[in-house]
Amino acid sequence: MRRIVITGLGMVTPVGSGKEAFWEAVTSGTNGIAPVRSFDTSEFPVSLGAEVKDFDPRDHVRKQPPQQLGRASQMAVAAGHMAIKDARIELEGLDSNRIGVSMGTTSGEPLFVEQYNDARKAGGFDSIPGEIFPKYPCHVIPGNVAIEFGCRGPSLMIPTACAAGNYAIGYAYDLLRIGRTDLMLAGGADAFSRITYMGFARLGAIAPERCQPFDKNRKGMVPGEGAAVLILEPLESALARQANIYAEILGYGVSCDAHHMTAAHPEGAGAMRAMAAALKESGVAREQVDYISAHGTGTPTNDRVESLAARRLFGELAERIPMSSIKSMIGHTMGAASAIEAACCALALSTGVIPPTINYEEADPECDLDYVPNQARRTEPRIVLNNAYAFGGNNAALCLARWEG
Amino acid sequence: MSEPVVITGAGVITSIGAGFEEFSSALFDCRVGMTSSEVIDFGDDLQAITCEVEDFSPQRWLGPKGIRVLDRSARLLAVAAQLCLDSVERVPPDSNEGDPDLGLVCGTIFGSIHSIASFDWSGLEDGVKYVNPMAFPNTVINSPAGQAAIRHKLGGVNSTISAGLASGLIAIQYATDFLRLGRARMLLAGGVEEIAEESYLGFRKNGLLSSSQHPRPFLEERDGVILGEGSALLALELKQTAVGRGATPLAEVAGVGSSQDARRIDGFSLNAVGAERAIREALRTADIGPQQVGGIISSASGSHGGDFMELEALRRVFGDNLAGIPISCPKASCGETLGAAGAIGAAAALAAVQRREIPPTAGTEDHPQDLSLRSTPQPLTGDNVLVTAFSCEGSNAAVVLR
Repeated sequence: MRRIVITGLGMVTPVGSGKEAFWEAVTSGTNGIAPVRSFDTSEFPVSLGAEVKDFDPRDHVRKQPPQQLGRASQMAVAAGHMAIKDARIELEGLDSNRIGVSMGTTSGEPLFVEQYNDARKAGGFDSIPGEIFPKYPCHVIPGNVAIEFGCRGPSLMIPTACAAGNYAIGYAYDLLRIGRTDLMLAGGADAFSRITYMGFARLGAIAPERCQPFDKNRKGMVPGEGAAVLILEPLESALARQANIYAEILGYGVSCDAHHMTAAHPEGAGAMRAMAAALKESGVAREQVDYISAHGTGTPTNDRVESLAARRLFGELAERIPMSSIKSMIGHTMGAASAIEAACCALALSTGVIPPTINYEEADPECDLDYVPNQARRTEPRIVLNNAYAFGGNNAALCLARWEG
Repeated sequence: MSEPVVITGAGVITSIGAGFEEFSSALFDCRVGMTSSEVIDFGDDLQAITCEVEDFSPQRWLGPKGIRVLDRSARLLAVAAQLCLDSVERVPPDSNEGDPDLGLVCGTIFGSIHSIASFDWSGLEDGVKYVNPMAFPNTVINSPAGQAAIRHKLGGVNSTISAGLASGLIAIQYATDFLRLGRARMLLAGGVEEIAEESYLGFRKNGLLSSSQHPRPFLEERDGVILGEGSALLALELKQTAVGRGATPLAEVAGVGSSQDARRIDGFSLNAVGAERAIREALRTADIGPQQVGGIISSASGSHGGDFMELEALRRVFGDNLAGIPISCPKASCGETLGAAGAIGAAAALAAVQRREIPPTAGTEDHPQDLSLRSTPQPLTGDNVLVTAFSCEGSNAAVVLR
């Protein structure tokens, strides 16, 4: 089977859009979390969110009227443009039937559900505008990306909640590896939504002041939004066109806790299985892993269980594998999260620097690993794991390696 | 050559029957599942007509416990999964851990749309402080798959696939890839869709529902679709795995093809280029030519654009031979089941392979002359059955079973 590499990165995030701005922000510990602007939070006990500011879809969407697209699609298209530009690839010269799109999301385009209910409340079912319906289903996100870039190969949405980005990148890797496509746009997108916000608020899961993954005093996650698109292609074609190779995808592993819809398995059984499967498929020994991009949401349970899973899988080795969470800076961008984090891993591998977990102050005896507190670190990682967990008990771990040239 | 993937079991619940045998019999008896909806009520004079599972009582298959937390989609999927697991005589694990080699790949368009919209509505109507947090887990699109995994201890891959009306077949394609890549021993693959006021209203407001309340796939006077619901799952495994455990393969998933039109998200691409490409790829990967297709299970639904596009694609692939190939449209019986449709089509194709007949299509007078569409069963003219699933957002998929 063919070897697959990452040659382009594009992202829209609460700390900045585009590879340069994003990387500068996460390696300097920038906080992207602020009071929510897109809706009134006065009824909620919390008010923080990780929204994308200063995003104008008119700067990005070209093939369709920008305002016709939902916000998640707009951000996905924008990330796609950035990724293609970053990859320095001309799609026009390629066989469009061999270019595919694989995206992940938690909620798709939930703002249209909000519009539906707002209209219903204001004027009953009759006042709900018909044109919002076709724009809602989550398949529109890869659909709109495919339209924007003329991708006519296989295209799909894998809405596996907060692990969706890894699932989507993983399947894009599969489609390339087995030779069904020659280029993939893969990633994830989610729009800030009062539905998601209300849900996490009602679960008591949102942090009141800041996001502090793995810290003893962590109080929760912070909902966010964003998108990332990665350009994936076979090594051979990347070399032939002298592309800049960020990383090679070695493999991935997925599992389901089959335990609880929202709570992680208390011993991290599924999380461990996903990581173990990723290492096995990648042909990587535990000793070789030198960085873990944590799911690290900042909730008491997630961070404890994730640390436990790493310790159970890696044993004492776990203590010398740095494991950080950029969610401390960009919040939890839902279905986009593991796609943005995969892009972040690719940048860590290509630059040699790993991003920190910010707001880390006090060690927790239940989270006793190296979380790269507050300062980015030059460690020159060669092999990294990108963890993602989700509602439904979904777990996915993606294994990437530095391109040695 | 890649390792063959075979079907060793099936679980189906639709408006015309639950259980693969009951579903197959109903399909061959040309039953139509249309009914006055018990689910949808807008408080106006318009009575919704749908193909929904009447008096749906999941307890019949799942027992009395733990049903309350499942919404309609999750119930339909959990029942299909139970039926599918029964068909392969799976013994549930004793331990609380999920079986890591058994997974679920579920196609859907709307997922738990009614749970999602109701959750938000509760925030508007009752106020944020009174919203039930226990309803939140059902608001992710993958909640039916997650709930089914918990219920049935499915610890392997748990993927949800959304590719419009092609979701069910793309899920089957995804599952065959995962099996060949060694990521699971057995996968339940298919789709689910519930009847919900939100999706129904969208079809109504956009003029997509049959005003005569009579879906007439491929017919000149067709005037739209009847929405349906249901779930179908196929138990898929590598042939060597199935043979190794002494199971009898019911059929082989011989070929799969998919494409994207990349033209618009709110209407079929009438040039049919992508649909044609998906069919040709399915035939190519099945290592057969058009002349070896012995029957077609079509995704035609009564939709103006969709049926036009599919007929155009079929004409291009099969040319003058099209009239000689028996074809059937399960949507005339089960309605347009959206993300489940491809999977229900695949289940219909499995029935066709087993009986060596193509099921009849309800209401088939005045069909195009170059189509062999009948209200009675027709014998297969070869071993291979083509299943199509084409979507208005540009996704196209085709599968060959034999």
